Amino acid sequence: MTTLTPPGTAPAGPTGAPPRARGPRPGARPRTGAPAQGGTILAVPALVWYLVFMVGPMAAIFVIAALHWPGMLQPVSFAGLENLRTVLDDPVFWEAVRNTAVHLAVALPVMIVCAYMVGYYVAQRPPGHRVIRYLLFIPGLISTPAKAMVFYAALSPDGLLNGALESVGLTSLTDAWLASPSTALACLIALDIWAGIGFTAVLFAARLGSVPGELGEAAQLDGAGHWRTMWRVHFPVIRDYVGVVTMLQFLWTLFGSAQHVLLLTQGGPGSSSTTLSFLVYQKAFIAADLGYSQTVGVLLFLVGLAGLLTIRRVFRPHH
Amino acid sequence: MKLGKGWIPAHLLVWGYAVLLIVPLYYFLASAFKSNEEIFAHPFAPPTSLGFDNFVTAFTSAQLGLAVVNSLLVTGLALVLTLALAVPAAFALARSTSRLASAMEKVFSLGFLIPTFAALFPTFLLAAVTGLFHSRTFMVVFLPATAMPLSVVILVQFMRTIPREMEEAARMDGASTFAVLRHIYTPMCLPGIATVLLLNFLTFWNEYLYSLVIIGPDPAQRTVQVALPTLKAITGTDYGVLTAGTVLTLVPVWVVYTVLQRRMQQALVSGAVKM
Repeated sequence: MTTLTPPGTAPAGPTGAPPRARGPRPGARPRTGAPAQGGTILAVPALVWYLVFMVGPMAAIFVIAALHWPGMLQPVSFAGLENLRTVLDDPVFWEAVRNTAVHLAVALPVMIVCAYMVGYYVAQRPPGHRVIRYLLFIPGLISTPAKAMVFYAALSPDGLLNGALESVGLTSLTDAWLASPSTALACLIALDIWAGIGFTAVLFAARLGSVPGELGEAAQLDGAGHWRTMWRVHFPVIRDYVGVVTMLQFLWTLFGSAQHVLLLTQGGPGSSSTTLSFLVYQKAFIAADLGYSQTVGVLLFLVGLAGLLTIRRVFRPHH
Repeated sequence: MKLGKGWIPAHLLVWGYAVLLIVPLYYFLASAFKSNEEIFAHPFAPPTSLGFDNFVTAFTSAQLGLAVVNSLLVTGLALVLTLALAVPAAFALARSTSRLASAMEKVFSLGFLIPTFAALFPTFLLAAVTGLFHSRTFMVVFLPATAMPLSVVILVQFMRTIPREMEEAARMDGASTFAVLRHIYTPMCLPGIATVLLLNFLTFWNEYLYSLVIIGPDPAQRTVQVALPTLKAITGTDYGVLTAGTVLTLVPVWVVYTVLQRRMQQALVSGAVKM
């Protein structure tokens, strides 16, 4: 960045410019008047806030994971890797790992592929695309408890889905969807896909809208259909963007599932719908085994990190 | 590009999905004005009368009125605090070219990779230690921290577009740093501030897990998102009341979305990916 101002009049000169050698003016607030670093000090409150309330608790996870702490008011002792051993020996933990793996392996690809295709569709501006766009934002606007209410109304034993099945004579297919071990996890996955496609599609549509139109037209002249254009022409152009969106959805699905599980199935029946992030919640606030909870938290963090790196590698542009 | 016959399946699939999005909302809106019997007999029929009985029940049984006030308070104060922290920070980072400033900016943009829920329990401890446990106050203080990375990064991008000559001219007239922020940067990046406000309004209003754990069940303190699921336990399966309560929590978001549709859409799109 360049500036025409001679150093000395502006506090934020180019790199290396000496800060103004003048004390705070009487009119200015003391900290805003401080010339050091061209007012960088103004960023300190935000940074402190962020470190204290976000980074601090994040670091605390690693400490608590090494403690034996059987409840808020119980005595705390150092446990080292003992919690890790307990967690790895616990069949519930492995069931949660399996559930999380299924959850991610189904929800994430379906969500991203469908959202990309819907996004491509909207970006072509077909008739009614404004209405579609308006509707696609809906899942991005409503809160998790409200989404859970929607699924509760649809899937509870006397809910919409069973009502619909009965009215077409398929009574034998009705089920207590959220309370059945074989479908509880599927319901949670359905919720993520239902809510995830809409908003992700809007993001893709917005990004596809900035891809030059000639690109698609050239492909069409060469005789490529929309299917080919969508995957072979447009996809490579926004590949890295798709990667970033996939990362965000990955993190959201991995960590956010706790809320849906808590609101809809409480992890049950048994532990058939317990995901890793719900296990963290459940062990901390229901079972009061804090060392266990935060050990899973650490593992979850590592899974998140590994997932991010993998996704980045997958979406790295081919050169 | 021309959309030929080959697009019919695409039209059907996309509109089918759109129907899946709109039907639950319609169902909720319609059911909020119906009794349980009507809901089960004709789930998708429009309500026959526009009685507000369900809303009244939802209001009284889960004390939703109080919860709405709490949510408005928490959301409003947290937004003010977010701006108070993020605007000066973005101002400093956008203008400074020092190495320290760019390191700070890095720290904020890495913040996108910290999922908010990860540190639920340690945050809960922090609330207990500071003595702000079981109160709205902690949420007012805490929520801006979660919003800091996104808010700062968005505002920095807006402020970088402001020509430096504007500031230099003001400096000639003897304006202080604070005056530059107040009279040049703030008015000129109002669209950025609006984006930050809209995005954070949504996240703060919709926040659930932290509010549940930290504010707890006290009806005098809890927010509407915490109060809403309790309706299920209180009313059993009175769908009329349940849906009326849900509709109530959606009203503020809906009003804002409808009034500021274009701006809100832009805000959501720009806020989702800033890495």
